[in-house]
Amino acid sequence: MPSPDTADMVSVSITVNSRLSTLAIESRRTLAELIREDLGLTGTHLGCEHGICGACTVLMEGEPVRSCLVLAVQASGTAVETIESLAEDGRFGPIQQAMWENHSFQCAFCAPGFLMTTKALLAANPHPTRQEIREELSGNLCRCTGYASIIAGVEAAISAAAISAAAVAKAAVAEADAAAAAAVAAVGPSGIAGVAVGGSGVGGSGVRRG
Amino acid sequence: MGRASVGRACVVARATGGRFVGSSVRRVEDRRLLVGEGRYVDDIVVPDMLYASFVRSPYPHAELTSVDTAAARAHPGVSAVLTGTDMVEISNPYIGLLSLPGLYEPGFYSLATDRVRYVGDPVAVVIASSRRLAEDAAELVVVEYKPLAAVATMGQALDTARPAIWPKAKGNVLYNASNTYGNVAEVFADAPRVVTQRFRQHRQSNQPMETRGVVVEIDQATGSTTVHSATQSAHMLKWVLALLSDRQSIHQSLRRLATDRERPKQFAAGAKAFLGRNPELKAANKASVPTMLRQTLADPGRLVHLQRAMLALLSKSPGDRPEVKAPDIGGAFGTKGMVSREEVSVYLAARHLKRSVKWIEDRNEHLLGGGHARDEAIELSFALTNDGILLGMRADLTMDVGAYPGVPFNAVLFCEIIRVMIPGPYRVPVLQFTSRAVASNKGTVVPYRGPWAIETWVRERMWDVAARELGIDRAEIRRRNMIGAAELPTRMVTGPELDVRMSARATLDRALELSDYAGWDAEQAAARAAGRTLGLGISTFIEAAPGPPGFFNHVVPGFAAITNEPASMTLNADGTVSVFTQQVPHGQGHETTLAQVAADQLGVPIEQIRVRYGDTRVTPFGIMGTGGSRSAAMAGGVVTFAARELKDRILDVAAHLLEAAKEDLTITNGRIHVLGVPSIDLGFETVAAEAIRRLPTSGDVDEAIRVTQEYDGGEGGWAQATHICWVEVDLTTGFVTIPRYLVVEDCGELINPAIVDGQIRGGVAQGIGAVLYERVAYDTDGQIQSGTFMDYLIPTSMEIPDIEIHHLQTPSTIEANYRGVGEGGMVAAPAALTNAIENALQHLGARVTEQHLPPSRILELAGIIGHLA
Repeated sequence: MPSPDTADMVSVSITVNSRLSTLAIESRRTLAELIREDLGLTGTHLGCEHGICGACTVLMEGEPVRSCLVLAVQASGTAVETIESLAEDGRFGPIQQAMWENHSFQCAFCAPGFLMTTKALLAANPHPTRQEIREELSGNLCRCTGYASIIAGVEAAISAAAISAAAVAKAAVAEADAAAAAAVAAVGPSGIAGVAVGGSGVGGSGVRRG
Repeated sequence: MGRASVGRACVVARATGGRFVGSSVRRVEDRRLLVGEGRYVDDIVVPDMLYASFVRSPYPHAELTSVDTAAARAHPGVSAVLTGTDMVEISNPYIGLLSLPGLYEPGFYSLATDRVRYVGDPVAVVIASSRRLAEDAAELVVVEYKPLAAVATMGQALDTARPAIWPKAKGNVLYNASNTYGNVAEVFADAPRVVTQRFRQHRQSNQPMETRGVVVEIDQATGSTTVHSATQSAHMLKWVLALLSDRQSIHQSLRRLATDRERPKQFAAGAKAFLGRNPELKAANKASVPTMLRQTLADPGRLVHLQRAMLALLSKSPGDRPEVKAPDIGGAFGTKGMVSREEVSVYLAARHLKRSVKWIEDRNEHLLGGGHARDEAIELSFALTNDGILLGMRADLTMDVGAYPGVPFNAVLFCEIIRVMIPGPYRVPVLQFTSRAVASNKGTVVPYRGPWAIETWVRERMWDVAARELGIDRAEIRRRNMIGAAELPTRMVTGPELDVRMSARATLDRALELSDYAGWDAEQAAARAAGRTLGLGISTFIEAAPGPPGFFNHVVPGFAAITNEPASMTLNADGTVSVFTQQVPHGQGHETTLAQVAADQLGVPIEQIRVRYGDTRVTPFGIMGTGGSRSAAMAGGVVTFAARELKDRILDVAAHLLEAAKEDLTITNGRIHVLGVPSIDLGFETVAAEAIRRLPTSGDVDEAIRVTQEYDGGEGGWAQATHICWVEVDLTTGFVTIPRYLVVEDCGELINPAIVDGQIRGGVAQGIGAVLYERVAYDTDGQIQSGTFMDYLIPTSMEIPDIEIHHLQTPSTIEANYRGVGEGGMVAAPAALTNAIENALQHLGARVTEQHLPPSRILELAGIIGHLA
């Protein structure tokens, strides 16, 4: 039986893009609605609202989820990342930059889902093969591009990450040379690669592998 | 198979002269779209906005006996529930404006009145304070139906025993046309060989990732209305909404007109001038009078409605009309060029309530009624010599247009484009083309990326059939019949000119070379011996993008008059330049490509150009919007010439400021100086300040210089390509994979190669989807079976192969030698793929005559399983 907006309210505490919000919402509200309507983060898009198209993909505790299929109450107490978290200091983050350089998108309605899926993919598997990229992206639909440009964008993000990791490593080695030998041990190679790929705090753990 | 996985092998002809045109400039629009700051229609929130939800018919065909809205109206948060009865009171019906002989166009309202005609037909609209409450209340509307027999197949539509969906049409055939070019009967009677085949193309759907949606914003202070809509044509939407909503009595209109005689006078003068400029349209109007009379006699109410709507439109002041603003749009592929009945209902509800209202379609609604396409069959006959030379062609088309005609483009228009295009790049000495459009209890047929594409599919399929029947190689029979460079210019038998840049033959030759075609039979045989089932298919097409001068007059006489492209450009006080276009991009990247064209003409950095679109308050009038592969040629062309005029005006002012002769001036990277003396220079902002100083008006002026131009497409021309598709068929599962896909195309000069390639790949992907996965399915009772993305299968990154693209460019001195590529990928791909599948299965006796080939059908064709249904 339908219920008015005021009935059945629940409290939800959620950290979206490192910002904690506590809201009183209808229990039937989805995570996508919370993100878009309550928090005003309209970068996450709703393409099908039945879990197929993937446009609404966000990361919840680092894992890609369909925010149209997750109830907001289910996301309470978790950390969620959306497309709005990808830019760094007002500039494109590495995945965005790679997608931009490769003309990855056309209408870009699907872009938030692809960008967040790519972030999860690269956090879990920094060097996927093309076939692995295809498999990982196959849960996201794009109607404009035929996918080649998106796959090229992911591949470019991988090589940019590799170049950037090499550069960071080189700088770190130079710095380390000038500093005490103990400092070298603090900047381990795996830590550097993690930073360069953009895998922030929540990345890495428990991400589905292709 | 040779190269099984080929990377991107783009041979890009470097553009001459320009700094930006010809290079893959990164997209300007991505600056907002990639960071989540795009503003799509569902992102728009206006103060005190209400939400709409529709009550829809679960029956394909039924009489509407009662609609009880009492419970819904009593539901918390509900502002109103409107039904068809209300629409009859407050709006004008949709009235077909096409005067094609042989056409019946029904009148109807935005909500069903006495009958529902497809599953999903909107019956009522609920307006409430949230989407959730509107949807809740919609479930409380009680509708009583009296089911009627449905028309769910072409056979049922042609069966006169079935009830007519539109009773005044006397049956379900709404359109009949026949054209004969040359002595077809004689040619066929005398031909050594006649090959005939019937082909069936299934119902498909555009399915952009963003559904349709609208926010009708009513300004409470001024009463003005702004319609934020995901539309491909803002001006067209504005005027259709005005025409449908200006409901007042003829008496009222006449009284208003009597007090303001200027407006009708201005209108009449404008109409006269327009017709004077377009004699073909004037003649066509005259010629259509008998048709209009017949239409009126068949349906006298039509004339009353038309007159009342037109007079109301004429008598109202511009402030009464809506203005349209198109936000970022999540794809369309044709369907958002139509004015949906839902959009009209929401507009009328908002005006009625004097409240802002939002409606965002959900995916299920979009699959039911958001636009279907291509539900067509053609029986095609080729008359041939024993050597495979084509002597004549006969084509008989049946198109299922669904229940309600599309507005403003009734799908019967596509019958006429198919007629004009079916000869393609081949010598077709004589042609007979008959067509009929039938109504069915299904969703509206809309334009979908190359809505005429069946002409290429059946023709290219037929060359393979003819080659097989005559024992001639498939490529060879095409070579023998395709028009080569030496024969140009010439005309298609249906009228349009093929100019010297029509290079289909060059694309075929290059594609065969790149595909090692000569070695194919041996390769296939070797693979078969090794237990692998491989196939190769060829498809060549031409596309009128924008077509030769007057192309659309061959489709519908006079139609070319409305296809001109306007653009304005301004030099602004801060030295930036704005381009104003009637185009409404939805993924094509106009903010980048038109800026590239303008920047090169002006000699400025691309950042200095801003492309403005989608807002009827500021953009020049044009109803074509974005579609038909016209953007590069038409908008690219008009911006070229408008920028040149603006440059001339800028240099006039600069010459005065620099005390130099204008012809000695040049612009480098946005700085104006005497050629060879770059040290003394001016910026555009200095010129703007001087131009503003010279203006008669005083005060805070932002716009220094404005130019406006209109472009008819100039020499126009054709885009063309040959596609070659390789398939491997798994005879155990019926799955088809595509190890290689090759495109060789010529669209003239490329403005932005990455965008061109993206358009081609996207089109091919949709073509592959159509053949292997996508189908709008109805059962024989008219119930839709494909209401989710689990039933209507959009191909994913696993299904779409790497697509290898090679560009050719026929040398030309024509300015703005850009031709469109938006639709071609989808036009050509189904033929290349279905030809490859038949080629793979030929040794099993397979004959591919339908376009949809899911695994079960592949196994049937291969004789592995019996026919399922």
